[in-house]
Formats: sequence, structure tokens, C-alpha cells
Amino acid sequence: MKGTSKEPYHVVYSSEIITEQTENQNSNTYKIAIVPKVMNIPYFNAVEQGAMEAANDLQVEVIYQGPNIANSKQQIEVVDQLVRNENLDVLAISANDPEALLPSLKKAEKMGVKVITWDADTLPEGRSFFINMVQDETLGRHLMDTLAWNIDEKGKFAIMTGADTAANLNEWLYWIKQQHQEFYPDMQLVETVAANDDPQQAYIVAKELLAKYPDLDGIIGNSSVAPPAAAQAIKEEGKVGEVAIVGLSSPNPMNEYLKKDIVHVVTLWSPKKLGYLTVALSKQLAEGDFPYNNQEIGGVGKIRVDNDTVIMGEPIDFTKENVDQYDF
Amino acid sequence: MIFNYFRNRKLMAKLMITYILVTVIPVSVLGYIAYKQYTMSIENQVGEYIPKLLEQANTNINNQLNDYKALPDALYNSSQVIEVLRKDAYQNNSALFRDEFLVNGTLSRMYMTSGNPDILGVFILSKNRLFQSAKQTQVNIDIENFPSFLGESIDLNGGTEFILPNQVDLEFEGDSPFLFMMRELRDYENQENLGTMFIAIRLSFIEQAMQGLTRDRSPSIWLTDQDGRFIYHSDPNMIGEIDSQFQHYPKVNGSFRTTDWMNNDLISTYKFPSMNWYSFHRIPLRELMKETNVVRNGTIIAFIIIVVLSSVISVLLAWNVSNPIKKLTSLMKRVEKGDFTVDLPMDKKDEVGMLANSFNSMIQEIEYLIRENYQIELKQKDAELYALQSQINPHFMYNTLETIAYAVEEDEKEEVIKMVTLLGRMLRYSLNNKEKLVPISLDVSHTKDYLTIQRFRFEERINFSITINVDQERYLIPKFILQPVIENAIKYGLDRSRRINIDVRIIKNKDDNLLIEIADDGPGMEESMLKKIQITLSQNPMIRDSQYGLLNVHTRIKMMYGEQYGLNIDSKAGYGTVVYLLLPLEDNLERKGVS
Repeated sequence: MKGTSKEPYHVVYSSEIITEQTENQNSNTYKIAIVPKVMNIPYFNAVEQGAMEAANDLQVEVIYQGPNIANSKQQIEVVDQLVRNENLDVLAISANDPEALLPSLKKAEKMGVKVITWDADTLPEGRSFFINMVQDETLGRHLMDTLAWNIDEKGKFAIMTGADTAANLNEWLYWIKQQHQEFYPDMQLVETVAANDDPQQAYIVAKELLAKYPDLDGIIGNSSVAPPAAAQAIKEEGKVGEVAIVGLSSPNPMNEYLKKDIVHVVTLWSPKKLGYLTVALSKQLAEGDFPYNNQEIGGVGKIRVDNDTVIMGEPIDFTKENVDQYDF
Repeated sequence: MIFNYFRNRKLMAKLMITYILVTVIPVSVLGYIAYKQYTMSIENQVGEYIPKLLEQANTNINNQLNDYKALPDALYNSSQVIEVLRKDAYQNNSALFRDEFLVNGTLSRMYMTSGNPDILGVFILSKNRLFQSAKQTQVNIDIENFPSFLGESIDLNGGTEFILPNQVDLEFEGDSPFLFMMRELRDYENQENLGTMFIAIRLSFIEQAMQGLTRDRSPSIWLTDQDGRFIYHSDPNMIGEIDSQFQHYPKVNGSFRTTDWMNNDLISTYKFPSMNWYSFHRIPLRELMKETNVVRNGTIIAFIIIVVLSSVISVLLAWNVSNPIKKLTSLMKRVEKGDFTVDLPMDKKDEVGMLANSFNSMIQEIEYLIRENYQIELKQKDAELYALQSQINPHFMYNTLETIAYAVEEDEKEEVIKMVTLLGRMLRYSLNNKEKLVPISLDVSHTKDYLTIQRFRFEERINFSITINVDQERYLIPKFILQPVIENAIKYGLDRSRRINIDVRIIKNKDDNLLIEIADDGPGMEESMLKKIQITLSQNPMIRDSQYGLLNVHTRIKMMYGEQYGLNIDSKAGYGTVVYLLLPLEDNLERKGVS
């Protein structure tokens, strides 16, 4: 009614004032450190790629840095250095040892850095939540199954694992053995050896195994460096077709072995996806939000959350038919 | 100025203006405020209610959009499709066509035949291949066309974007408006881009969500993005245009009103929960006020009726108060000029009635006092003068003195003494004018004195008798009411008769009044003469003629005691005349006691 008022509109009722959402309101980008168990193996390189992809998509600063050997002492040094030198918002770590890292992580937390774990967990008090790739039980039992398919559920086999302190590896080992005891009485586990995620060491360990057990029927690689090393070993020893190799490995290092029927199947998840998810959830945590069950994460899809553990998805089997589809 | 002007107006005008102001101003102010409040409350109610509906609609639309956003996820369930999308090189055409067939079929099964009927078409642009499935077979898009309307490269950073229909050079049968959803297909495992998926969705889901808002009225409803571009509009021609006013709209979840005089619209708006989209609802205020206007018109009619009624009432009231006063004023003017016959008839009991009554009684009092103290006095004086005149009338004096002289000659000493004494007593009674009212006995004895003197003159020709049946000392009558009547009877009687008998009777009649009958057996009067005299008596003229004596008596009685009293004559030619005097019984004792 007031024709003289200068405003062209007169608010009659307002429940709230809309604050315009600006696209890049977090101009102060978060700084996130992703620490793998070890640098420069294909698996963790793929994680790095995924993490960097996410850093680009989500506009955060990601520092990807880890020890050169999969060893908790070196990892602690890396963590301490990162916490000291970088003004971190979130530290996401794949722990080589569930206990040894705790003091460093606690210290980081005291300095205001939020800590999560991925790939390999620490004790729960050391972190906010753990990003697991797959359910441990599912993976462990599946690894055992894949070997059983390849050797008709009978014969001798050995397991090659990474660092014998790594929590995730030990968890899988437990479920591999569990599945073995429950369903495959005709199979015999001869030895479980650790190779510390070192390709060179893994190769030596594989050779030793082949020499020690000439009638060995299969090897389960419980760490991503194990299957390629074992494959290389049996190829060199001329035992192709005699010793079946299954286990955890990325498709790219295994491509050639799969195509040449040296190895029939390896199992893994997408480490790129893991890297991407880790960065996405780190950013979300930096903003103060925790993941929840069935949450849709852009670029990753839906995740599951079980208490303080995030489960990324299901394991993927790579065979010579599908291995070309994957690039990590 | 106005006040002074007003002060000098007539009372009626003042009262009318005051009454009208006192009724019209409060009623109009009250009416205006009530209407204002009513419209404001409607405005507020609607202003509060519509955004809630909008919020609900937004939530519905948003949920629907979220459902649509999730549509591409279904694709990940088909590993075959993902496998095809991951490929980027082909050995031969048949392999390419096989893959196209596979993906197109899957898209059709997933989205077109079993999915939401609002999905018009699904397209996947992947590594220079276009897979598609659409409702209408005639829609066939070249792969070259796609980048042209989308720009060269698409990098959605994993997100979902919406393209408005007019931004895409794509038409579906029926030309129904649609939204083009664009979603990056990501290879989660390899963290690579598989391609981009486009889903054309008919806008009818927005229409459906907004239906609740359009139920009873016909508002404009629209959706805009953050730039004010119409995503949806109830007028389909507007879709894709930019709302020029958008930047000026207050950024609130709520309602606002245009302040333009001519086009008064109520606009409600609500922001989408998770996007920079806004929904709007615009309705002209007059549309809202349709029902209110009935109330307003009713109020106006009631107002007019009240104004007319109050004006009539105020005129009546003012007239009622001022008219008697006006009458009173004019009557007072007449009274001022000496007319005391005025009367202000008033049966009211209010202050004006009381005033009129007081005025009436005051005028009566004045009139009475004037009559009492002035006219009666005057008449009385006349009567006294007349009596004196009649006694010192040269003729009467001469005859009396001559009679006395005869008596002296014949040495009738006692008679002389008696006559002189009577004459002296008569003169003294005439001259003594201290009182107007005297005991009957005094006037009777004066009359006797007069008759006695006349009998000395006319000897046997006059006979008289006086009978008094009342206490003549106790009751009072005016002075000189008997003598003029008797004098009249003697004068006319002896003119034409040899002898005359006069009988005076003073009695109390059945109404407890004093009745004096003076009967003579003189010549009497012709009927015409009698009529003339009776008319003269009833007219109460102040003329002086032969019947002066009778008239004087009549007038004085009337003046002193009222209309019902007075003098009457009954006569018949050859038989004589009777004169009746009717008076109230005036008690001497009571009178003294009162005064």
C-alpha cells in the first residue's frame, strides 16, 4: 500500500533469510596427509593416483608421503615430520603396526590434527574411524576359496604375507586359516612367511618356498607384492601349471601373468577408489562430518559403515578375461 | 477561524454537525482499521501458509530429483555395460555395433520400459560413442551434435548438472518441456571417466508437485535457478527465460508483496533444500481479497446505512431540541410585545418540556399578576368611579336634594335626617376603597341605602325585598355588584312601568356557589334585545354604553373568579327580568387565615 517506499518489495512473512551458497566457500582449503605403509609399490601408487584425483575434484591439498620400507619405525618418523612441519587438518594412515604408531597419532591429535586410518588399522583409540576396503572375513575366506578352486581342494600350500605386524594382513590371515580349517581338510598349509611388502624380498621368499617344498601346490599372496613375486619365481623355476598362485594384487602387475596363464586369478579392490574415498572422507571429517551407512560419496558410490569402520565395497577378482578393464 | 465560524452557527446546525462527526468519524475510522487489519491478517496468513506449501513441494521435487540423480547408479549393476564403456578401441564395426546394441538394450530395459514414465530419453556419451534410448523412435541424434550443444568438453567433477530445455537443441514429440540431467559416469575402480549420461525428464513431476498450490486459485508458479532462469513456469513459454526481477527479490524463505500501486501481488518463495533453486508462487492480492471484498462492501454499505441513519437521527434530534427552543423564542418575542395569550403545548417530560412548562406557568403567572394587580384594579376603580358618579349624578343629587327639600318644607325632620344619613353613608362606602372584597352584608346594606333613598323619591312605585340565605358576614363578594344591577332595573323599569317590585335573593346553590338573583317585574326585554345583551356579555368587550353597569359587574366577576362565574340575564317582554350573579363562596375566615 505504501507507494512511496523505495523498496520494490515488502516482506510479509519470512521464516528465514537465505544465505547464498557460494560454491567455493571453503577458500581455505584443507590440508590432508595420506600416509601409506610404503612408497613405490604399484598398489600404493594406485592409491596415490586416486587420492590426487580426489584432491583435484574436491579442492583440497593432499600430501602423499610414506616410508620407503614397510616398517613402523620409519612410518613413525614420516608421521612425526608431517605433523611437525605441515599444518595438517587430517592425517590418514595405513598403519604398519597397530600399536607402535599410537604415541605419534596421539601427539598429532593433540595438535589438532584429526586422524583416521585406511587400508590397515591401528587400535581404535588411535583414530576416529577406519576405512576398510572390504570386510576382512569376506576377503580372507574368499582368498582361501580362490586357491581351492585352482587346486581342486587338495594339496600343500603356503601363504606369503606382508609385515607380520600389519593388522589387516593378520586379520585376513586369520580368516584364510578359518576357512581352510572349516571346509578344506585335504589341503595342508605348510608355511606362512612375511615379506614386508618389499618386492625384492617377496621374490626371494617365493624362491625359498619353491625350493623348500618341491611338491607345493599353491601360494596365497596375502600382500599385494606377493603374487607378482611368486609368479616371477615359478616362471623362472619352470613350475608354471604346477603351482597355483592366488592372492591380493593389482591387475596391472599381474596382467602379463594372467594373460600367459601363469596365474589364474588375483583378488583386490580398487586402490584408486580407496585413495579417492580416503581423501573424500578426510575432507568430510575436516568439515566435521562423520560417514554414515549407505552414504553416497561422489566418485566412489555408496559405502557401508559398521560402527567406526567404513567398508568401501566388495573384492574384485581379476582374470585374463577382465584384467584389461582395470588400470592400476 | 473555523471554530469561530462554527461557534456562530445555529444550534441546529451545530448539533447536526456534531452528531454526524461523532458518528461518521468513529465508524469510518473503525471500519477502515477493521478492513485493514482483516486484509493484513489474510495477507499474513497466506504469506505464511504458501511458503510452507512451497517447502513441501520443494521437498517433493527435491526428493524426485534425488531419485533421478540416482538413476545412473543402476547402470553400475550391469558389469557388461561398464565393460563396454571402459573400452576405447575397436577392431571392427561389428564389435562396435554389438556393444551399442547391448548398451542401448540395457538402457531401454532399465529406464524406458520399466522406469519412470517421465523419462523421455537416456543418452550416454562415452569415448566418441553415443548410446541412446528414447521414448520416440524419431529422436535420433548425431554424435556430432552432442558436443556442439554441450560445449567441447564436459568435466562435471563427479557431480550432476541440469540443462534447461531451451539450452538444448533437442525436441521430443509433443514438445513437452523437459529437464536435461547430465551426470558424469565414473569408473569407480579405475577412477576414470567412463562418459557422461544424459537423462531427459519431463517437467510434469514439478507440475504434479505444484498442483496443490494451484487448487482453488490461478497463481503463477515458477522455479528458477540461482541466476533467475525459469526452470519451470506455469506459462510454458517462459521456461528458459530469465526473470529480470529475480535479483531484486528479497532473499527470504517466505512471502513479500510488491509495493507498486497498480499491480499488487503477493509473492511467496522457498529455496530448495540442497540446490540453489528457488520456487515462486505469485498471486494478485485482489485474487486473495475476493472474499474480503464482500466483507469490505458489506462494511461500506453498513457504513452508508449508519451514516444515513445517524444523519436522520441527528437531524431529528437536533430539530427536537432546537425546534421547541425556536418556538419558545418566537413566543417570547410575542410576550415581549404584550401578548400574554401565548401557550406552548408540550407533553414532553424532558428538560425542554420542563422549560416549556415553566414558560407556560410563568406567562400564566405574569398574565394573572397583570390581571390581578392591574386590570382588576382598573375595573374596580371604574366601578367605584361609576358608583360615585351615579351617586353624585346631578339628576340623582337633584332629585334626592329636592326630596330632602320637600321634607324640610313639610317639617319632616326625621325623614330628612335619615335621607342625609343614608346619602352620607353611601358616599362614604363609595369613597372607601381600601378593599376590593367586602362581606355580603356591607354591599347589601349599601344597596338597601340606595333603594331606601329611591323609595323616598318614587314612594309607592318601588317595592323591594332582600332575602339572604347565607352567612352574610362570613362570605365575601366584590364591592358594588348589587347596586349597578338594581340601578339598571329601576332605570328601565320605571321608564315604562308605573310600579316595580324588586326581589333580591342571595343563596348557596347546589354546586356550593353563591348565587344572587335580582328579579324585577318591569317591562322585560324583547328576545332580540336579550340576545344582543347576552352576546355582549359573552364577548366581554370593554365598551361603555347603556349596559355599562351590568357589563362592569360581569367583567369584574369573571376577572376575579374565572370564566365559569359571571352575570346572566333572563327576560321576557311584559313579564320582567331576572339577573343572575354567580360567584364562588369566598370565605372571609379562610381568606384571612390564608393571607
